[in-house]
Amino acid sequence: MATVETAPGFVRQDGKEKVTGTGRYTADLTLTGMAHVKFRYADHSHAKILKIDTAKARALPGVVAVVTQADLPDVRFGGFVQDRYLFARDVVRFEGEIVAGVAALTEDIAAEAARLIEVEYEPLPVISDYVEAMSPDAPLVHEGLADYEKDENILANGNTMAFHTIVKGDADAAMAGADVVVKSHYRSDASQGVPIEPRAVVAQWQGDKVTVWSSTQVPYAARAGVAQTLGIPEADVRIIVPLLGGGFGAKCDLHFEGQVAAIARAAHRPVRLVFSREEEFKAIAQRREGISMDFETGVTRAGELIARRATLILDKGAYCGEGGFLGQMAAMHACGPYQIGAIKIESHLNYTNNQPSGSVRAPTAPQVCWGLEQHMDEVAAAIDMDPVELRRRTLIEEGAEGPTRQVFDHVGVKDTLEKAVEMIDYGRELPEDEAIGVAIGWWPCMPASSGAYVQMNGDGSATIVTGAQENGSGAVMAMPMFVGQELGIDPDDVSVIYQDTDVAPWDMGSCGSQTTFNSGRAILAAAQEVREQLLDAAAEQLEADRGDLELTEGSARVKGSPERSVAIADLVGEIGTVHGKGSGEVLDAPEGDTGGCVGRLGNETFLAPQLITQAAHVKVDRETGVVRVLRVAAAHDSGRILNKKGADGQVFGGVVMGVGLALSEGTMLDDQGRQRNPHLLDYKLVTCSDAPQIDVEWIEYDSVGPRGSKGVGEPPQVPTAGAIANAIAKVIGRHVGELPMTPERVWLATHGNGA
Amino acid sequence: MSPSFTSASTLDDALAAVASGARPVAGGTDLVVGARQGKAPLPNDIVAIDRVEGLRALEISDAGLRLGTLVTHGDIVANADIRNRFTALADASAIVGSHATRAQGTIGGNVMNASPAMDTGGPLLCFDATVTLRSAKGERTIGLDALWTGPGKTSAAPDELLVSVDLPAPGEGTGSCYVRLEYRRQMEIAVVGATAVVVLGDGNVADARIAITALTPTIRRVPAAEKTLVGTAADADAVKAAARATAAAATPISDVRGSAEYRRAMAEVMATRAIAAALTRARGGSVPIPASPAMYGAKES
Amino acid sequence: MKVAATLMVNGTSYPVELDPHVSLLRAVRDELGLTGSKEGCDDSECGACMMLLDGEPVNSCSYLAMQAVGREVTTVEGLAGDEEVGPLQRAFLQQFGVQCGFCTPGMLISATALLRSNPAPSDEEIRIGLSGNLCRCTGYDGIVKAVQQAASGDVPPMRGAPVHADATPPHHAG
Repeated sequence: MATVETAPGFVRQDGKEKVTGTGRYTADLTLTGMAHVKFRYADHSHAKILKIDTAKARALPGVVAVVTQADLPDVRFGGFVQDRYLFARDVVRFEGEIVAGVAALTEDIAAEAARLIEVEYEPLPVISDYVEAMSPDAPLVHEGLADYEKDENILANGNTMAFHTIVKGDADAAMAGADVVVKSHYRSDASQGVPIEPRAVVAQWQGDKVTVWSSTQVPYAARAGVAQTLGIPEADVRIIVPLLGGGFGAKCDLHFEGQVAAIARAAHRPVRLVFSREEEFKAIAQRREGISMDFETGVTRAGELIARRATLILDKGAYCGEGGFLGQMAAMHACGPYQIGAIKIESHLNYTNNQPSGSVRAPTAPQVCWGLEQHMDEVAAAIDMDPVELRRRTLIEEGAEGPTRQVFDHVGVKDTLEKAVEMIDYGRELPEDEAIGVAIGWWPCMPASSGAYVQMNGDGSATIVTGAQENGSGAVMAMPMFVGQELGIDPDDVSVIYQDTDVAPWDMGSCGSQTTFNSGRAILAAAQEVREQLLDAAAEQLEADRGDLELTEGSARVKGSPERSVAIADLVGEIGTVHGKGSGEVLDAPEGDTGGCVGRLGNETFLAPQLITQAAHVKVDRETGVVRVLRVAAAHDSGRILNKKGADGQVFGGVVMGVGLALSEGTMLDDQGRQRNPHLLDYKLVTCSDAPQIDVEWIEYDSVGPRGSKGVGEPPQVPTAGAIANAIAKVIGRHVGELPMTPERVWLATHGNGA
Repeated sequence: MSPSFTSASTLDDALAAVASGARPVAGGTDLVVGARQGKAPLPNDIVAIDRVEGLRALEISDAGLRLGTLVTHGDIVANADIRNRFTALADASAIVGSHATRAQGTIGGNVMNASPAMDTGGPLLCFDATVTLRSAKGERTIGLDALWTGPGKTSAAPDELLVSVDLPAPGEGTGSCYVRLEYRRQMEIAVVGATAVVVLGDGNVADARIAITALTPTIRRVPAAEKTLVGTAADADAVKAAARATAAAATPISDVRGSAEYRRAMAEVMATRAIAAALTRARGGSVPIPASPAMYGAKES
Repeated sequence: MKVAATLMVNGTSYPVELDPHVSLLRAVRDELGLTGSKEGCDDSECGACMMLLDGEPVNSCSYLAMQAVGREVTTVEGLAGDEEVGPLQRAFLQQFGVQCGFCTPGMLISATALLRSNPAPSDEEIRIGLSGNLCRCTGYDGIVKAVQQAASGDVPPMRGAPVHADATPPHHAG
């Protein structure tokens, strides 16, 4: 089976409203009587709250509600660790923490009222450096951590929210037997997802039920969070997502739906929150974390990786959110898709008084891959081997063992390497200020439950009802194509009802590259039920054997005898109600030998890893350190590709995002953990004129997802920065030790002062 | 007092409005953005001058160039005579902001904003530009060094309106160039910029103007560097010496865009490139406009 | 205090009351109800708010609404003209130049301005002409191809039935 080319002329069903400007995003919604919400943020990065006086704010004409945690149930929320209130109660722990919320008739009045809230603080010492956070005399971000509700596998201590190890064999002993041992240190800054749509939330109560329109990637998580924090049943919370203007992980987790719902209840009217770009930088709890990485690899002269030790320290920021797994995920990426004899990785996920970290497009992977893949090039140099050759000899393959001794089925990673170096013509002569670098990464498929309905309409059209969330990528918009193929009808005759938690069964949402993998599996299962019903009815009507029938062009017909056919619309009329429901079988994570590992939160083996090689051709201005990425060749193993144009689009976007991560996107903090560049002039995204030429090839074979697929969305982000880094190092003769590799950092490294 | 907005259709109307305290606005970009970023609230009373007759005139003659205050960066880049004779100015206007900034942003607004990072500032200084300020009481013409008194500050009185910018014609044998350190190719602000205007006579440098951008509280020329270059044959050593002298005049700050150390080092690099490109142009060689992106290598390799 | 004014947007004249300090973007979205133009940054750094002002692109978040009085404003809602979906817009869809769609209105405006001043732009000219508009989804590839396709004049019509464009809840595409 070859790549499934996108149907000619296929246009996503939300396309017309997007190009004509008639589509509605959350900030475009207005309800009668709607008031405007503004938050009062913390005045310190770390302080005890002694008193909150809202009298002046309440007295301001036009103010309809002021809410603090005193008005709400005593409930903390969070993923693996429940450590945060909707509004700060006793302590503020980062600059974007919300102390109170206000609703007023205009935005200006709301802003003034937020300013008029008087908060008395007792400042506490601030810990912003996430490595220093582990020192015994560092101030504690959460004094009460030991008493918080948390997952039983969380190992917390001091400011370390979660400690993890990956252990395979005896790495210390193996290291002693290596021909060469190479050590490297790398450190990445925090960075941001930066969807172009800043977040917005609208809430309206009807009796005891609240409807929340939110720019979230995870409506069901938002529903659960609102219910938990307000102490109401999930059945009384409905989350609707209008068009979503991008997310990239930054819109995962419960994010302000609880606060806005509480404010709407207090205001007795609908309210709307719309973030400014500055709030979108500072207040969200979903940035890409800074990581300090120490790698040590023992290798033979022949290029066998016999031991890997690594210590990772990650900046969790002030709260857990959904990012409790980051340390464990990072540990897997410190191994990479390589065959390594013995492994010992330690990973510390540390609280600080910085903005909280969470899932941003392949969380932890691009930074760790950037460090590891530079380290791999250093290992290759130490044994005088070409870095591509070292990878050829050490990548995983079918039957190989992973870091926790999971045994891999067919994996196409070596094919991606060969394809990428062929595409970029690796090894050719280049001008002295240009070079090609190669990096390889991986990312797991995330098995999760999902449910969907497919129902036939009287005219032979069909409707999908799904909990899947369209983040913009087109993953949900491709579903009519798949269902149309199952049922033999035109994709334009298949509509989708989605992004409404009152309508469809639970879904994980747009995260973990899982929409096709899980939601798609459920939708296809539902479509197959409908298909069976249609075939049964057609077999009876056409007096034919079921096995001889096909569904095509809106009809059921006998294969090879097109005159013996019946329109699907007529079959539906005959049967009456034709509908299917589906979930499909949720796959288990692969077995491994994880007994020696601690802090096991579920990422210690990788289901059907997506594998990626990227090769970057860059030009470095040695005098200034300015780097231009000329071209990126991307070869990906994502199993079968079901919608080629859509999949290609993920690579184009992910690579360009990766170029930004590599060269210009870093959140800079002062010693109080406050952001110094919370705006798009000094947090620099890649513009159209800086985007490289990108070539994409898919290495395809049948994998475990629907129709042989795996995920697609996150991998393109993973090895881009690493490939660029290795190319830069070839030009300047040294590896740049800090991410992003800004002109100044490249210049420092070039002139011998850098890491 | 509630805010007011008037739109002037004649210069007299505009002058009357500024005399009564209104702030002029043309392209609008800096004023509104500044207010949003909390730099300064929007002035209470605003007079739009973008429809005043005659202020968008662009006159170029043997005597020189006159830019009406409403001339946009797009107008400047599109003008073949400016590209030929005031090339550094075209280099600068071509890389201001984005296409939208260049379509709306005016030279008058740019000059009066007095940003030490403005791209056109160095070229205007090096071309000996003067500005004409008019009020209801009369008009005066001053040099830019007298206009810019600090970051965001000018010596213009509140009732004065900048009506035109005048650049005398450069002599025979002039070549000029503006380059900046740019992290991205567009949507960028100068972190370090350098301008060079050189006049060659008999193969030697007869005159030189060198200015630095984003390295001092106001954009300024560097006479010490200019002196280094004048009288030389402009060989590599002379260029290097002039660039060193240029960097020595920098008093950069450290901020999110770069450290003082890096900026000082880049001052020398940018000065070297600006001088070299100005010399190439003076000798009749070709350097694309804008010069800046070419310095990092175009995308084609 | 608000003042009476008339805004001419997409060929329609709208009598409105404007705060003298309100931006063109806020006025068009809040007073006229044309929400196609987006606010992505509020300081001219993202281009989501881009409109045409007498045919020239402007970041409407940084432009006073009062300054637009007497000028012709074009927003994304006005780009199709008499067609349901104009050729540039169709090209964006056919080339997968639209993902989340939040940058799309501004991109379409910049591309329109570019093609008016330069009907046959090179790849480099397209990229420079769109650099004031940030896109986080597409890597710009489909967008650049869409502008090339629109410049070629060969953009097939849309297939399929008209789409229900009202995304008020429950959200229903199809």
